[in-house]
Amino acid sequence: MPGDVIFDKPMRMDNSYVENGKTYAEVMGLFDSEKGSLVALEGAWSPRTDEVVIGIITNSRNQVYEVDLSFYGRAILIGSKYDRQTYKLGDVVQAEVKDIENRKTVILWRPRTLYGGTLLDVKATKVPRIIGKANTMIMQIASITKSNIIVGNNGIVWLKGGDIALATMAIRKIEDEAHTSGLTERIKKLLDTRQVGGTNKEIA
Amino acid sequence: MEGLDIVKSHYVKELIAKGTREDGRGMFDFRNITIIPNVISHAEGSAQVDLGATRVLAGVKLQVEEPMEDTPDQGNLMVSSELLQLAHPEFESGPPSPESVELARVVDRGIRAAECIDLTKLFIEEGKAWSVFIDLYVLNYDGNLFDASTIAAMAALSSAKVPKYEDGKAVYEERTKPLELKNYVVSTTFAKADGVLMLDPNIHEEAASGARLTITNDGKVIRAMQKGLGGSFSPKEIESLVDVSLSKYSEIRKRIAPD
Amino acid sequence: MASKANKPQLIVDGKRLDGRALNELRPIKIQASVLKNADGSAYLEWGDNRVLAAVYGPKEAMPKHVQDPVKAIIKCKYQMAPFSSMGEHGRSGPNRRATEISKVTREAFESVVMLNDFPGSEIDIFIEILQSDGGTRAAGITAAAVALANAGIHMKDLIYAVSFGKTDGELILDLNMIEDNYSECDMPMAIAPRNGELLLLQMDGNLTKEEMKRGMAMAIEAGKKITAIQKAALQETYKKTEADIKGSENGV
Repeated sequence: MPGDVIFDKPMRMDNSYVENGKTYAEVMGLFDSEKGSLVALEGAWSPRTDEVVIGIITNSRNQVYEVDLSFYGRAILIGSKYDRQTYKLGDVVQAEVKDIENRKTVILWRPRTLYGGTLLDVKATKVPRIIGKANTMIMQIASITKSNIIVGNNGIVWLKGGDIALATMAIRKIEDEAHTSGLTERIKKLLDTRQVGGTNKEIA
Repeated sequence: MEGLDIVKSHYVKELIAKGTREDGRGMFDFRNITIIPNVISHAEGSAQVDLGATRVLAGVKLQVEEPMEDTPDQGNLMVSSELLQLAHPEFESGPPSPESVELARVVDRGIRAAECIDLTKLFIEEGKAWSVFIDLYVLNYDGNLFDASTIAAMAALSSAKVPKYEDGKAVYEERTKPLELKNYVVSTTFAKADGVLMLDPNIHEEAASGARLTITNDGKVIRAMQKGLGGSFSPKEIESLVDVSLSKYSEIRKRIAPD
Repeated sequence: MASKANKPQLIVDGKRLDGRALNELRPIKIQASVLKNADGSAYLEWGDNRVLAAVYGPKEAMPKHVQDPVKAIIKCKYQMAPFSSMGEHGRSGPNRRATEISKVTREAFESVVMLNDFPGSEIDIFIEILQSDGGTRAAGITAAAVALANAGIHMKDLIYAVSFGKTDGELILDLNMIEDNYSECDMPMAIAPRNGELLLLQMDGNLTKEEMKRGMAMAIEAGKKITAIQKAALQETYKKTEADIKGSENGV
């Protein structure tokens, strides 16, 4: 909890601060003693380089595109002469974070347009669980629902085709239960029983 | 995030074209409705209503006032609404928006036209009558504020108690007599997207729609209507929606208050 | 304001009109994460007060000219519902009292939120008093702190607020409406529990230095209880899910 002492000595780690020689938490989180880090349970996305994100083109001027990543800062995608692709306002794109300036301007590269489908906004803090270790969780959902799914680290998920309602239900369940164990098994059970032709078809 | 909502509304449009909805319900089904009466004990009446993820809190206050000059033998009814900023990231501060004013006026018209409250019974004595204030507090916005607000207003009215009147003033600590309701209304709001009609649109279905129609009825006749947004309806469509509206009355009426 | 001439006796045999001891809080209940659209929210019942607090952000500060390139800005709006008080219908819209409370509340949070973590952004705090019975600014701050933590906003501390006053020659904690109307003074405070620093402080009436010291000690003692209720509410949002899972796995 914010204000709780984590260490009686100064330590540098995310989501904490040092005051009078002690290290305090600044969010509600879980302490991971293996990695020695404080994992936030809630909160906005903070960009990191190399992360895959999903956004929407909101502005373009001379091959410089502004992309809405649904966070407090700005994101810019610069078209290059090697990339003949152009984007329209409202296009959904997947891209990688190349650089971050002043902690709030994100420079994107390696873009790819995502045609059709729909978007889902999830809590950015739950993205690692939604993806799962070595992509296991999201691959499980995609293979059973036959949906194309891409998860952006900024908390935007793109879904296309297949049983989107069921995939959405599974992702929401992971979001709600991200802090519990045995989640992979429970999601598999949900997908098996609710899928088309399953015993208990229902839509979220 | 605006862009995200636009993408979602495109998707919802595709679904509607196939005759399905985001949450799997039928075209003329309401979302789940939850009504909690008497949530604010300081008010004379109150109710919190969830229509899917849309949440409206209605509070009813009664106050002794001088009757209006042109109706000296009647009390007053005032409906106001607040699209609270905490209900949606795009709700803004400042004076009531046109959307907020329209909402309050449409709810007001249904209740007034159906004479749910007999305003002559609010008359107390020469120069004194009860004014009934209904405040609609929108706490979470996920589409179709009209129906959620009318249900909340009716549920709050049916839970309301009239304070004791003494020496020209209300004694708020003593409230026993229920506020008498002569009639009940139920509101049904429809949206039209690519020619497809649906009841109780959620926020993405609203965004995907070109026209909206609210029909308020008392189980027998139509009491108020309001067409909204830029699109239009044919007379035939309106006729069929009136039938749907009337068919929804008893289901919702039962939820508002037992007979 | 009630006239002092009609003042009822507020303390009888060491107990207050509602049966509380002089240093006793009213019952407090908090539920976190109650609104779907908000990034963080809390519903608080404090005696007969009913408060809803919600937080949006950090998001891009608007309009652009209010942006601070090196830190986040906080906006805060406290308001009272027109049906919130026992008695006549209130006027809606901002008034001088609500404007002042919004300002001092914002300033209380400015010293605990890690503003530098989100440059150029804004964090909105909305406090809606749905029902009022004295001490609503303290209740609002206590609820808003939970809503901020629920939104994952980086903060140095989970702050709380409470007030004390003086009546019939005695100091009393956490004044309700009737006590507030007749009391000789009222001193609301917002406090950071980790170091006891005061982040909001207002006072009117009459108070000796000695009484002030005793009142502050009383508030800090009460704060231990308030902090525990705030933390339990935040933890509950996670426990509830565990219970739901167990329920659903037992064949529900």
